[in-house]
Order: sequence, then structure tokens, then C-alpha cells
Amino acid sequence: MFEVRFHGRGGQGAVMAAQALASAAFQEGNYAVAFPYFGAERRGAPVMAFTRVDKDKIFSKTLIYEPDYIVVLDDKLTGLVDVADGLKDDGMAIINSNAKPEDIELGKSVKCATVDATTVALETLGQPITNSAILGAFAKATGLVSIDSIVAGIMDIFGSRIGEKLAAKNANAAKVAYERTSVGTCKGTMTYEKGGKWLPDYKELPLGLATRPMKTPEGLVGPGSFVDNKTGSWKTFAPVHDPDKCIMCRMCWFYCPDGAIKEVGEGDAKTLEFHLEYCKGCGICANECPKDAIKMER
Amino acid sequence: MVKRVVTGNYAAAFAAMLARVDVIAAYPITPQTFIVEHLSEFVNDGLLDSAFMRCESEHSAMSACVAASATGVRTYTATASQGLALMHEVLFIAGSAHLPVVMPVVNRTVAGPIGIWAEHNDTMPQRDTGWMQVYVEDNQEVMDMTIQAFKIAEDKRVLLPIMVCLDAFILSHTVEPVDFPDQDKVDKFLPPYRPDHAVLDPKDPMIIGSFSPPEYIQEVRYQTDETMRNALEVVEEVNAEWAKEFGRDYGGLIEEYKTEGADAILITLGTVTSTARDIVDEYRAAGKKVGLVKLRFFRPYPTEAIRKVASKCKAIGVYDRAVSFSAGGPSWIEARNALYGYTIPVINVLAGLGGRDVTEPDIRLMFDKVLEAAEKGEAENEIVWIGTRGVKP
Repeated sequence: MFEVRFHGRGGQGAVMAAQALASAAFQEGNYAVAFPYFGAERRGAPVMAFTRVDKDKIFSKTLIYEPDYIVVLDDKLTGLVDVADGLKDDGMAIINSNAKPEDIELGKSVKCATVDATTVALETLGQPITNSAILGAFAKATGLVSIDSIVAGIMDIFGSRIGEKLAAKNANAAKVAYERTSVGTCKGTMTYEKGGKWLPDYKELPLGLATRPMKTPEGLVGPGSFVDNKTGSWKTFAPVHDPDKCIMCRMCWFYCPDGAIKEVGEGDAKTLEFHLEYCKGCGICANECPKDAIKMER
Repeated sequence: MVKRVVTGNYAAAFAAMLARVDVIAAYPITPQTFIVEHLSEFVNDGLLDSAFMRCESEHSAMSACVAASATGVRTYTATASQGLALMHEVLFIAGSAHLPVVMPVVNRTVAGPIGIWAEHNDTMPQRDTGWMQVYVEDNQEVMDMTIQAFKIAEDKRVLLPIMVCLDAFILSHTVEPVDFPDQDKVDKFLPPYRPDHAVLDPKDPMIIGSFSPPEYIQEVRYQTDETMRNALEVVEEVNAEWAKEFGRDYGGLIEEYKTEGADAILITLGTVTSTARDIVDEYRAAGKKVGLVKLRFFRPYPTEAIRKVASKCKAIGVYDRAVSFSAGGPSWIEARNALYGYTIPVINVLAGLGGRDVTEPDIRLMFDKVLEAAEKGEAENEIVWIGTRGVKP
């Protein structure tokens, strides 16, 4: 039996990656299960997905707490989430990053493989969706499933969701990533703080979870907790505002789903400020702008 | 037979196609949405010849199912959580009119606070609506039971609607290998639905669900009660036929796992059963006399089967993923009712509410509590909350 935990963000396709890996392992004659764990159901929010593979039928229906492998679809997650939590000492991390394995910091020195899956995805799919590319790296780094089976797994799972044509592009992404994967050992010098979540006893929990603004050792909760919860790391593309083209129509301000655009200055000096620490990079502002004054850049 | 890696939602949708449903009326809700989406694709792609109605709410969807089924055609829908709650008043009408609608329910916590994860507090409150309920543990069982559900529901001795209950995400969004039964074998197993108690025929008109004074309704209630009891036998027959034709035996009303010679038996329902099998293996290997009973049918309730289990062990634990406030979990309440007069301890273990993961240590603790009760002949606490912060289990 081997167990894999995928870390990604809503919209990156961690769930489909976990499923395609299960399908690949199944096509090699194994029993395989894959399942998601959703937090906030929003594009960009951190999500986890899991794959379990064994020769015999798998009965366990629990989450995976001590994975043999972790797969990280977005290396910006490694600073925010302790992705290596519970990873077995002889386990391995497969990470989407343009850095070498030796330069990756996971708070735990383990076998590590890296591939710049974002670039592979942009080249092969034209979109920064890294779930297929990372599976190529998984095959190369672990040798547990062949790249041919990964291709078959992608064709099965992606094919039934997005059609055969796009699935074939994704299968190609996996093949390209397979060739570009480097394997080494990552660093483990930094320590992640444990217990970052507010988990009071039932007596301390506000009745019915009706929560006022509260300072807890784990951070702010209730109204205004967004001050602590900076969601800006969710984005791949950021808006770049050109004040010369801007006519201050405020359409971007009106449509921004995160209130990340603010009006500043007085009179003729009035302009817009983009709060990138909350901007999730959705691109709605650029899309709505009638004067093409906002560009989305990586 | 083809084997594919699919989600529980896909299995539930595909089973409806294999059953050649005539009418699907549904409204999407997380985590059931994919069932409806897959079916709309099957119909759109010409794979399934069925009338597909996307209604404006679950209340309307169930109303449409009642109307469709009352014309005498095979009818299917699926829902979850708030959607089932919104259907509530119409469920009674399907039950009392003996309309054998089949409905997978993806068990999801009912707000508040709002959550999307697995809890049985959506289906448990529907136990008195005249619907049968079967709880399943893996995606193969989702497929197999959805097909069997039509056969049980449409049996002339039963003619009652049925919910196939599957845990949110743990099955609905989990892929695992599933055998896809062959269409011709399913056709043989499940012939077309040809009722005579409720059909639309202008030459032979009927009134269904008319205004009924006290002279009639009590007998109608007795009819539902009797047919629900008839279902006990029909479930076993259909299971036996399925096992013969398709090679998978689910045990019928309940499934016993390593109960022979067990001092302590845990009764579970839903996906916790699956993980509990591993723990039974582990404990048995360590010489601990534990066994497992998977409660499959909650309605009809298998009173006799539960009594037989109780007569061969020293203590019983009943797992619930829902609670009837101040009174314990619904499955435990039923088991205690069935076991009135029995002297062995019957304790309640509650875990996994709101979709919290029921871990291996949680299940070990459940068995430890039942083993302790078996040894002492009594339990310190009858109702044990497991994994609740600030509450001693």
C-alpha cells in the first residue's frame, strides 16, 4: 500500500490529479481510491486530495495523515501550509517549482523531486493548470507507475470530464514534465508552527458558532478576520494598473469580488490602489475595464 | 462486465441508466450535483431515453416525481441535505400513495451552521415518511443497490419509495474501481415497471391522494406499515437473486462480519463500516473478540436480525452519525427498542458529525468501549461522544 497527499488550490485540479493517479494504478492491476478534502469551495483556496493504492481491496475510508508521498501543485503553498506534515521519514515530496530540490524548504529533509510544472502547463496547455504535468513528475520520481499508465489515467479521468482532445494535451504535459523532473533531497532547516487553527472546547465555542470579532492565539476569528487571512497568495496572475489610461469609471472597483481595489487621493490626483495581499488574481477587473487600463501579468 | 474507476455519484447515475428510468426530475445540490449532471449528459448524448426535468427546487422535483410515478412509470431523483429537508412534506405523499420512486441521497449535514460534509441528520429525520432507507459503504454498493432498489420498491408486496443513502464526499466524490453490470443482465433482473395500483389511463380513471376523512386514513397507515414489513422479506429475496446473478452478496437487511464468537459487536451504518472492518481484523489478530454488523436497512428496520445478533454476544455498541438531541443517536434508539427485554449492555457511540473524519483511533475507542461493557456487564456511559472537544468519551 502507498498513500499520496496532493496539495493544491481550488481550480488547479488537485482532485483530478489524485483521480488520474488512481486510474493509472488501477490500470496496472492495483486497487486504487482517490478522494478530495475541500476547505472553502473557492478558486484559489488551499485544497487537499488523496490517493491510496494497494494490491488488494482498500477498506479504509479515513483521510491520510502519514503519507508516503506528498505532491504540491503550487510551491507558494510550502510557505503557508506545512505540506510535509506527517510525511514519512523515508517518504518523498514532488513539488511544482522552478527551483532545484536542494533549494526547497519543507521543514523536513526528505527525498524531493521538482519540476516547473507551471511553465510546462503554459507551454502545453496555454493555462497555468498543473495537475497533469505534476503526474509526469510523480511517475519519474517514484517509479511506482509508468508514464504510459499516467497517460492512460489522464485519458480516462480527464477524458470523461473535458473531452479526449484536451485530455491528450494534458497527457502530453505529463510526458514533457516527466523529462524535465529533477530528483534530489530538500532542506529541513525551518520549523513550521503547529496548531495554527482555532479549535476551542465546546464550552468556549460561542453558542451556535455566532462569532464576534475575537483575538485568539491562533489569530483573528469572526468579522474582520480577513485582516489576518491574506488571500493574495492564491493568484498566478496579478493586475497591473495604468493610471494614464484609467478614466476612473470605477467599474473594476465595482466588480472586484474581494474589495481589493481602493480609491485614493483627492481631486485630480484621485487614483486606484490595488491591494495585492487580498487580490486572488481572478482577472475580472481587467475583463471589465472599458479602457484596457488593467493588464494581468504573472 | 466492465470495471472502471468512478465516483459514487457516477455509479448512482449510471445505475439509473441501467434501470432504464422513464422520468428524472431533480434539482442540483452539493454534493449530489454530479448525479444530475451525469444523467443530463446521458440523456443529451442519446444514451438514455428518459424525460429529464430540471425543476426550480427540490420541493418541485419531488412533486414532479410523485406525479410522474402516479402515471405508472419508473421514476428517479437524487438530493442531499437541505434539498431533502425541502422535499419533506412531499415525501409523505410518495410514501402513502405507494409510489416506488428511487432516490439516492448523498448524506450531507443539514444547516446550521452551514456545512457540506457527511452527516446523517438529513435522512434520519425522514424515517416516518413511508420511504425505505438503505445505507451503503462503497461505490460498488451504490451501483448495485440503486438497481436493486427499483426491484424492491416495485415489488407488488411493497410498492414503497426508497432512499439509497451514501456519505457525502467519502463516496460521492471518491473514485474507486466499480464493476459495471451488463445491460442485458440488468434487463433480465429488472423487468419494466407495470403497476396497476397507480396508472394514468383515461379509459380507466383514478383519483390519487384525495381528501380523506378519518374513516379511511388509519387503514391507509396500516397498509404502509404492512407493506414496509413485507419489504423485510423482499429485501432478502432481491439480495439473494442479485448475489446469484451478479456474484455480490450484501447480506440483505444486515451484513455480519466476524460476529461468530464475538463478545463485543459494533453496529455501524454507512462508510464507517468499511474502516471498521480493518479494525476488526486488527483486533481479532490480537485475540480480541470483536465483531461488526453493518446495518444496511434502517427502514424497514430489521428487528429480528438485530435480536439474533444480540443473542450471541455480551455487549453491543451502535454507531450513529446523527443525534436526536437529549435522546441519543437514531440508530441506537431503534436498536434499543428492538432489544427491549435483553439484558446485555447496548451503548451508543457518536462520531463524525458535520463530516469530521472518523479515524482508526476513533473506531478502536468504539470497540474498546464495547469490550469494556462486555467484560463488566454494564456501561459507565450509555451515550459516548467520540472526538468532541471538551467532552470525555
